[in-house]
Amino acid sequence: MRKQLGFYIDANRCIGCFTCAMACKNQYHQDIGVIWRQVYDLKTEIYPHRERAFYSLACNHCENPTCSNVCPVKAYYKRETDGVVVHEQEKCIGCGNCIRSCPYGAPRHNPVLRKAEKCSFCWERIDSGLEPACILSCPVDALQLIDLATFEEPNAVQYPPGFPKFTSLNPSVRFRVAQSPTVIRRKRL
Amino acid sequence: MNSMELPLVIFTVLSQAAIGLVIISSIRQFAAEGPAGNVRGEWLAALVLLLVGLTASLFHLGHPLGAVNAVKHLSNAWLSREAVGVSLFLALVIVGFFSIKDRLSPGLAALTAIIGLVALFFTAMTYAPPGYPAINNALPLVFFLLTAAVVGASVSSFFTSQEKIPLLRLILGGSLAISLVVYLTVPFVWLSGGTVMHQTGIEYLTSPLYWSRIIIGLALPLAGIWMSRSIPAWIPALVIIGEFMGRIAFFSLTLHASSNIGGL
Ligand code: SF4
Ligand code: SF4
Ligand code: SF4
Repeated sequence: MRKQLGFYIDANRCIGCFTCAMACKNQYHQDIGVIWRQVYDLKTEIYPHRERAFYSLACNHCENPTCSNVCPVKAYYKRETDGVVVHEQEKCIGCGNCIRSCPYGAPRHNPVLRKAEKCSFCWERIDSGLEPACILSCPVDALQLIDLATFEEPNAVQYPPGFPKFTSLNPSVRFRVAQSPTVIRRKRL
Repeated sequence: MNSMELPLVIFTVLSQAAIGLVIISSIRQFAAEGPAGNVRGEWLAALVLLLVGLTASLFHLGHPLGAVNAVKHLSNAWLSREAVGVSLFLALVIVGFFSIKDRLSPGLAALTAIIGLVALFFTAMTYAPPGYPAINNALPLVFFLLTAAVVGASVSSFFTSQEKIPLLRLILGGSLAISLVVYLTVPFVWLSGGTVMHQTGIEYLTSPLYWSRIIIGLALPLAGIWMSRSIPAWIPALVIIGEFMGRIAFFSLTLHASSNIGGL
């Protein structure tokens, strides 16, 4: 398999602090209302415990990106070298087709520029040998950069409950699901 | 529905109306005995509907001047194919309009109708993306074909000769009846799907817009045709209003897959 960068999301570690989302915001200063990385709360039907569980999600840099397939002006391309899906905003005419099409809600509408935009996987940082801002910022190492060509983690899953399953896109993410907390009860005397 | 989608409502309904009108006009001219009616007026109406729809479609772009670039991705993007299909249809409608004497040549009528159907298919594929599981299938195609049929047949009644009213009544009545069945069934089918599809079904069934559209745009016109021997002018008016309501429902009530991230 060719090199394909992806995010490893450790829902067992994530504490839902939003530092990753803020790091993204600090890095790119997106306009108000534009969010590239979002931390989603798992609903109680999936994780019914008081210590809640979260998925920190951005663009999944899919193997078969629908955003790119539907864009009429070819404003997206997938990098040969590492599979990162790049949006070239200067080409975008703001038709909204990628926003409608991506089931993960990754491309967002920028009301100021009247164009779409999304997570770039910090490809400029990657090309300089740095980690993406979100990964670097996570205080508990719940986000990691992986190469799916070499990634071997038997317990990792691609479509945990709460993450939309679109096999035709083959999103480049892997998860460690959140474990149930250990409940310690006092023995009855 | 966000403000960017209103132009899409106008564009899709009016372009499908134009396609339907051209198809019904061609059927009417050649499939039944009697005078052709006002074919020129009919094609002019199709042209005006299409031009208004296309103008509206520009307003859904953040950068309307970039619209010409929208044909760059013919290899993959249905929207690029749609742009080409609709432009080709527009060109044929213009040529058709200027070449009409009393009738239109059957070859040109058939070609325009076929290209219109192809353009409608491309539009349907554009609006069936993975992001909306309830319509990531053949439903947009069915919905859009029905719009073309009901609006085309009802507007065509303004241009037909009396002899051909029974034919139009048959087409309009049949397509209204099919629409009624389809629109009443689909939300219940969605209820048996995954969470987002199910939720879309609930959104529809609990929406006054959906029920008003069924009554105003489908049930009343169908009853009207049933009871009168002709197609009174209020029927096309109600059908068009109903189609606009239905399309607003299509764009505003259908839920996006990302709305359920974190849920089952
Ligand atoms: S997650 Fe969405 S925006 Fe990102 S590559 Fe996949 S389809 Fe494109
Ligand atoms: S909004 Fe921009 S990037 Fe998205 S499909 Fe349209 S032109 Fe392409
Ligand atoms: S910074 Fe880390 S722990 Fe905090 S929300 Fe993001 S992934 Fe979770």
